[in-house]
Amino acid sequence: MNLDFTVVFSYWQALLQGLALTLAFTVGCAILGSLCGFLLSLLRASRSRWLSVPAGLYVELFRGTPLLIQLFWVFFCFPVVFGIDVPPYVSVLLALTLYMTAITSETFRGALKSIPGEQHDACVALGLASWNKTIFVVFPQALLRGIPPLLSNVVSLFKESALISSVGIADLMFVGQNISNSTARPVEFLSAVAVIYFLVAFPLTRLVGVIETRMLRRYAY
Amino acid sequence: MNYQFDFNFLNGNFGLLWDGLKVTLQLALVSNIVGLVLGFGLCLLTLSRWFFLRWPAQLFIEFFRCTPVLLQIVWFFYCVPMLFDVFIDPITMGVLALGLNLTAFNAEAYRAGVQAVPREHLDACVALGLRPWQRTLYVILPQALRSAVPVLMTNGISILQQSALVAIVAVADLMYVGKSIATEAYRPLETYSLIALIYFALSLPIAQFVQWLERRQDAALAR
Repeated sequence: MNLDFTVVFSYWQALLQGLALTLAFTVGCAILGSLCGFLLSLLRASRSRWLSVPAGLYVELFRGTPLLIQLFWVFFCFPVVFGIDVPPYVSVLLALTLYMTAITSETFRGALKSIPGEQHDACVALGLASWNKTIFVVFPQALLRGIPPLLSNVVSLFKESALISSVGIADLMFVGQNISNSTARPVEFLSAVAVIYFLVAFPLTRLVGVIETRMLRRYAY
Repeated sequence: MNYQFDFNFLNGNFGLLWDGLKVTLQLALVSNIVGLVLGFGLCLLTLSRWFFLRWPAQLFIEFFRCTPVLLQIVWFFYCVPMLFDVFIDPITMGVLALGLNLTAFNAEAYRAGVQAVPREHLDACVALGLRPWQRTLYVILPQALRSAVPVLMTNGISILQQSALVAIVAVADLMYVGKSIATEAYRPLETYSLIALIYFALSLPIAQFVQWLERRQDAALAR
């Protein structure tokens, strides 16, 4: 068979639009998910069982089931359960955010654990209110230590976001598959899409390593 | 919420779900075997002295780790038959895609373990006159395996979950069967919840076991 990769370039605008949508979903869900994830990790660390057990169950449930099912569940079941019409974009955003919340809460939990007990004692000695302690002492340190694993979480969210093509959102994966079907050139277009994903994700994974070695050594320890 | 749950429609469909579950388990298990074996080999390649072995191995790992699994699966199902002019049955193809993906992830997991084998052990192997393959198989592998087990098992669980993606290329696994039942019976809520619970029940015990194992290893290190 003859391969002709030049055809890919005539579709660059459509592919770029798909990439923009993928990135928009990734960034939006990453920010929302990290904020909710931090709150969830606090709930999990809480002394009250009524808070920590449901939070733990939430994390286990979302880590223990495929994202595809979570996506379908939110997409098809939310309208049935709550009797409201949810637009596809919103339900996809919701599903990815819920997933990201579970993943990042584990990251923050590890970061929270790494904050030495002396710091908590110092906060008591200084008479800081508990919310003061959380915002000014715990959160900055947890964030700093959590940055490299959080970035890896974002990279995996970027990859997992390809799943939203299965419910008809026109992201990079969806656009690539559509073009490859209509032009009957799957090898060229699917490979091109793979290369685009790679070109975005690979520098980010390198960045994780750089941050780990440079920044953390300077500020966190 | 005023929704009448009704699981009666499942009565005639248990056989189908069971078949789907078998396919899912088959995919997950065989990919795990492939990933565990090839992952170790790939890890050795990335640590090789020769540039021409190291470089392609590293590229393989990075490519599989930096592209979506869904795309890899779709790529295998569409492009491998076209490129190589072969027909491979869907389950084998799924195992191939998932297994190679897991290989890349496991190679990274093994690497830390292999690098942690003390230099003295390698010297001892030379002193004892062990052949290179004996050294790899009897000295490096057991030690690397031991420290890598938690990560390897976590990777194994995630492959079980990623295996749901083959439903998109119409392999009749648990997810696919669930999807078609949900569409036929107009009962997405019950079906998807049930399927999610099955996946959850499969992965929870392994995840708990990994946690227990990690605690034990931490305790051993602290001693």
